[in-house]
Amino acid sequence: MHPVLRLLLRRAGMSALVLIGVSVLIFVIARVIPGDPARIALGPNATVEQVANLRDALHLDQPVWRQYGHFIADLARGDLGVSLYTNRPVTTDIAQFLPATLELVFAAAILMIGLGLPLGILSARYRGGIIDNSIRVVALLGVSAPSFVWAVILMLLFAFFLPIFPIAGRLSTDFLIEPVTGFLLVDTLLAGNPAAFGNAVSHIALPAFALALSGIGQAARLTRANMVETYDRPYIEMARSYGFPERRIAGRFAFRPSLIPSLTILGLDFAAMLGNAFLVEAIFAWPGLSRYGVAVILRKDLNAIIGTVLIISATFLIANLIVDLLIAWLNPRIRHGRGTGG
Amino acid sequence: MKPDFITPLRVASLALAGAAALALAAPVGADRVLRLDEVAVGELDPGLASDYADSILMFNVYDTLVLPRQGGPGHVPHLAANWDGEGTQYTFQLRDDVRFQSGNPLRAEDVVFSLERMQALGRGLSFLFGNVEMAEAVDTHTVRFSLNEPYAPFVASLVRLPIVDKETVMANLGEGEGDMKDWGQGYLSANGAGTGAYRVIAHNPQEETVMVRNDDYFLGIDEGAPDTVRLRYGLEAATVRTLMAQGEHEISSQWLPPEVMRALSNEGMQLLTESGTGAFYFKMNTTKAPLDDVHCRLALANAFDYEAALKLIAVTDTLSQGSASTGAIPVGMFGANPASMTLARDVDASRNHLAQCAHDPADFSIEITWIAEVPVEERFALLFQANLAEIGIRSTITKVPWALFSSQVNKAENTPHVSQLFVNAVTGDPDTLLYGMYHSTAAGTWQSPEHLNDPEVDRLLEEGRTGASDEARDAAYAALNDRLTAIAPSIYSYDRQSIFAGSPKVNAPALSDPAQAFGLDGMGFSFRLMTVEN
Repeated sequence: MHPVLRLLLRRAGMSALVLIGVSVLIFVIARVIPGDPARIALGPNATVEQVANLRDALHLDQPVWRQYGHFIADLARGDLGVSLYTNRPVTTDIAQFLPATLELVFAAAILMIGLGLPLGILSARYRGGIIDNSIRVVALLGVSAPSFVWAVILMLLFAFFLPIFPIAGRLSTDFLIEPVTGFLLVDTLLAGNPAAFGNAVSHIALPAFALALSGIGQAARLTRANMVETYDRPYIEMARSYGFPERRIAGRFAFRPSLIPSLTILGLDFAAMLGNAFLVEAIFAWPGLSRYGVAVILRKDLNAIIGTVLIISATFLIANLIVDLLIAWLNPRIRHGRGTGG
Repeated sequence: MKPDFITPLRVASLALAGAAALALAAPVGADRVLRLDEVAVGELDPGLASDYADSILMFNVYDTLVLPRQGGPGHVPHLAANWDGEGTQYTFQLRDDVRFQSGNPLRAEDVVFSLERMQALGRGLSFLFGNVEMAEAVDTHTVRFSLNEPYAPFVASLVRLPIVDKETVMANLGEGEGDMKDWGQGYLSANGAGTGAYRVIAHNPQEETVMVRNDDYFLGIDEGAPDTVRLRYGLEAATVRTLMAQGEHEISSQWLPPEVMRALSNEGMQLLTESGTGAFYFKMNTTKAPLDDVHCRLALANAFDYEAALKLIAVTDTLSQGSASTGAIPVGMFGANPASMTLARDVDASRNHLAQCAHDPADFSIEITWIAEVPVEERFALLFQANLAEIGIRSTITKVPWALFSSQVNKAENTPHVSQLFVNAVTGDPDTLLYGMYHSTAAGTWQSPEHLNDPEVDRLLEEGRTGASDEARDAAYAALNDRLTAIAPSIYSYDRQSIFAGSPKVNAPALSDPAQAFGLDGMGFSFRLMTVEN
């Protein structure tokens, strides 16, 4: 079997086991948090009988293992139950909210890679100079302040004092775009509406940048550190002596080997943004899954908690799988089945 | 050497600049738009509705048989042309000129269906109709309700029975068991089926609900009323402030911190108010020493600094998120004391009561709790602690999550000495405020951590809910008010007053003129009664 295929199968198998473990863990944790989900869902005015009826409907009076059995049986039918928060099927909620978060996280990831890596390369290329020092300060600021702080600062700068960007929602109310993929940047293009596309970009710009800033700083710092180390290798010196241009040395001989360790961290950063998006989504009124996830946890909405956690876990695992495959593709020792250690 | 790596930066900058330019060039809507916000989620199904956002939706998409009288207690006909009844039988004659948004005419069977649906779902505010034995359509435009027992606030309860279009719901039943399947929950959670002045055209329970005016509304709608309403959910305070500064938001929710309200007011926003629906209470566990002694409770009630409490929630020098309390019943309801009879701190009286208390205060430390989800309560807890320290009573402050609080109060021994709570009358009638708090059969819920068991209070509460006339009920509640002041199961901290920051281009009489206020949470947001400058 090809080593990359073997790696893919092994990782997929492990991911399935992790998902089962996560489902058991979150199922139990959600049930031991203090508070009666039925009482919380029905509100303070509900009668004792109403609460008892809902508890019965949710099987909450049964042992946890039987409740888990009901959950697995429903899951096998593709049914995650009804959310007590929105009173809609959890699958409907996820289908509505997930694309918004994925779009935001993808945009942030593009910014993270599109700005973080070039900044890291620049910093390493001009190390010790003013460009390097400036980038390192900016990167440090990006890493040290959480996303929500940047969200508020960006909102103040570019919406309050200098009203350039919109700050609420995904698209101006002047546009009516029929959802096809749920990704508005795609749907506006599919609708052939460049003004709506521009409007969607302007809506996503601030939240995506706020979410990406930490990753941009991280990517720049990692890339710089790895490239500086690579620059000290003898083969770089040899490339210089052969007269290769600096641009080619940086891009081909120094950057590519430095990318492998960075990629692992960036993959984790990407997945972590799914969870970190919560406060950014709240500040920019972005109707995404992270915000939904926190709301359902606060309401102890059992079905929605499990559904959301499973989806975020699955996305996390898929992102890791893709990173592993990318590393395998970049690393000839793995690609050609040598030195993988089994 | 020129660094080529700068290119992606340049591309990204150009893309952002281009997007901003395109966004600024976007067309601007020409109609009258009203944008406001509330906490998520917005529940559109009137059978499940219970929160403030749900009420706003309910009162605009649906109508009820009666409406609260504006500017005072009592009710006036709305979908009903008139009604007759008392005791256990009530008959309503419906208007014959009302049509649902679907075009279907309003009939008595729609009223019967709406009640049966609410009772069958058993969610939201259905508990208000637990004593309705049946409803029957006498003819096309006459409906009769039969109650299990006399219940004078029944007419008041009808402001929480939105009438749904039976034909539309039956045509859109989802999956479920029995003939009625899901009772149309799937459909009504995303669509409106009422007679209301506004029609839902888009609904995302976490983002916003978009409504447009229903030009066929049976009462007509003012030309200046909003054409489109966007009710947004879950906006942060910073976001609301920025949107209002940009002119992209007309009315804030009531949940903004007082500091933000003040800032918006200083920036030229008007402050809208809604009051008379509830109060903020310090509830004392009457079964736990030393608060099982009435003198000890009265000592605490007299020690509390009512004036300072109002200052803690002041928005401006003259406006606060509460108004001075006059007793157990908020001003404006049956039995309330006049607005001039405000409660005030009396340290001497407090010390006198403490001297008569059977317990030595040195033997106890009073546990004051505050609900973790309501940060303003911590300020009141600190104020109360300082007040108690002045009369020599030790106290501790405990933060309790709502979920834990609502389960621990089931047993008197687990209930803290003092719990802070906001309680509202969901129908505007004092019965829905007081019965659940003070009747001995209702003890041990989140509303009644006093665990009060006082036969005189029980008697007056029964008298209030069975009184044959408004005058009789007013007298019963006035006597109850006196009794509750005398035995002090709670400290009546202040009458709740909701404040909303509004753009100057909005005119909302029901939220700015007391003579036009409804005295019911959310009804001030009847959009048909508002006007918005274009």
